[in-house]
Amino acid sequence: MRLFGIIFLLGTAVFLEVTLLNFFTILGVKPDLVLMIIVFNAFLRGSREGALVGLLGGLFEDLAVGSYFGMNVLSLMAIGYLVGLTESKLLKESTIIIVFLAWMSSFIVQVLNYILLSFAEIYVSPGIALFRIIIPTATYTAILVPIFYGRFYRSNKSGWLNGREI
Amino acid sequence: MYREGNTKKIILISILVISLLALMRYTEFGRVSISPVESSLRDILAPVQGLAMNLGHRLRGLVSFPFAVMEMVNENQSMKEKVAELEGRLRQSEEFGYENDRLKRLLDYKSAVTPLMGFEVTGAAVIGRNPGNWFGTITINKGSDDGMKQNMTVITEQGLVGRITSVSINTSEVLLITDPRSGVSALIQESRAPGMVEGIASSPGRVIMVHIPIEIDISADQVVVTSGFGSIYPKGIPVGRILETGKEPSGLFNNAVIAPFVDINRLEEVMVITTVRSSNNITRFSGLPSPWGEGGFDQGGLNPEGIGGTPVGVNP
Repeated sequence: MRLFGIIFLLGTAVFLEVTLLNFFTILGVKPDLVLMIIVFNAFLRGSREGALVGLLGGLFEDLAVGSYFGMNVLSLMAIGYLVGLTESKLLKESTIIIVFLAWMSSFIVQVLNYILLSFAEIYVSPGIALFRIIIPTATYTAILVPIFYGRFYRSNKSGWLNGREI
Repeated sequence: MYREGNTKKIILISILVISLLALMRYTEFGRVSISPVESSLRDILAPVQGLAMNLGHRLRGLVSFPFAVMEMVNENQSMKEKVAELEGRLRQSEEFGYENDRLKRLLDYKSAVTPLMGFEVTGAAVIGRNPGNWFGTITINKGSDDGMKQNMTVITEQGLVGRITSVSINTSEVLLITDPRSGVSALIQESRAPGMVEGIASSPGRVIMVHIPIEIDISADQVVVTSGFGSIYPKGIPVGRILETGKEPSGLFNNAVIAPFVDINRLEEVMVITTVRSSNNITRFSGLPSPWGEGGFDQGGLNPEGIGGTPVGVNP
């Protein structure tokens, strides 16, 4: 049940990123909803599940992108694992902590993507990458975190995302 | 004694009937003035009448209030539903209106511009976009079953959108000109200065034209069109207008930031050029709608074999 819940959330997030979120871009970027789910889940469930959900989310995104398959799988799995390491060390009820974590995670994922893109011979000027994509995306994603984290937290505690580890 | 009494009664009744008939006649509808008695009576009774009427209304209102409330609640509910339904229809109708306008523009373009340019085009709807912020690709609802092939050029009635990079049975992926992986061989329409239009990652609808020969003067507001070199994009498709100019770091070339004619972030319907035929009627390009006719393809200094003058052949 929990696995289906996570898959449903990731699928919905990718669907929104492909369709509706294009109408809500700020400074040319849209928020990274898939990353948000991965960060929430890793923060509440630890690094093992963090990496697994990161892999699933990356797979969904790569399928939607249709090229450079594996780029999102790698970066999102890594960030799921890293955020999961904080699971037992930080206060889970704090919105400020999760906002900061989401911002940092998005920043790191975008930097990883930037590095992976240069491996694929896609060169983007570092200034443009940093100020037009990486920082705006991380900020936009972090701003949306307080809207969704409370619901995710409650659902994880006693709702339909409650249950054994995947 | 009895007969005398009866006669009196009959006389009295007769007088009464006749008086009433006369009174009726006297007070018939439409007379100009009323009698002083009537007038006085009316004046005296008027406030009382008003009071009674008012009281009657209030009582009636009081008695019927609960029923009226129930009726109003029901009426309100049904009116709300009706309003919601009508609002929905209005929105739908507005949406149909907008869609109609867009499709009409596409149709106008298809019937007016494509024969002159020698294009055969197929319409398609945009059904998705790249989920990330690094690339600019869209997915359209036409695939190999509809004759779509890799590298076919995608346009709108305003100008160049991009090219098809991959095709499935029912969909195609289009690489937008704003994508950093995109490169379009282009010309500045006025000066014929060649260059390469490249996308900028996550740029809000801007592209950059690089490698413009330094000896050719370029300035803002000049129109950039595809050059046809490289055989992917047919010649003469409007790309955008120069916003600002500068020098490349090497100092050997100029570059220019360009605002594409097409609003890349608001694409809903596009056209795919499936075939490009020869079009030699160069003078007719002045009659083309904006931005296709802008800058005057047939104005002085232009190569007569310029825009659309050379067969590009069928797209790969």
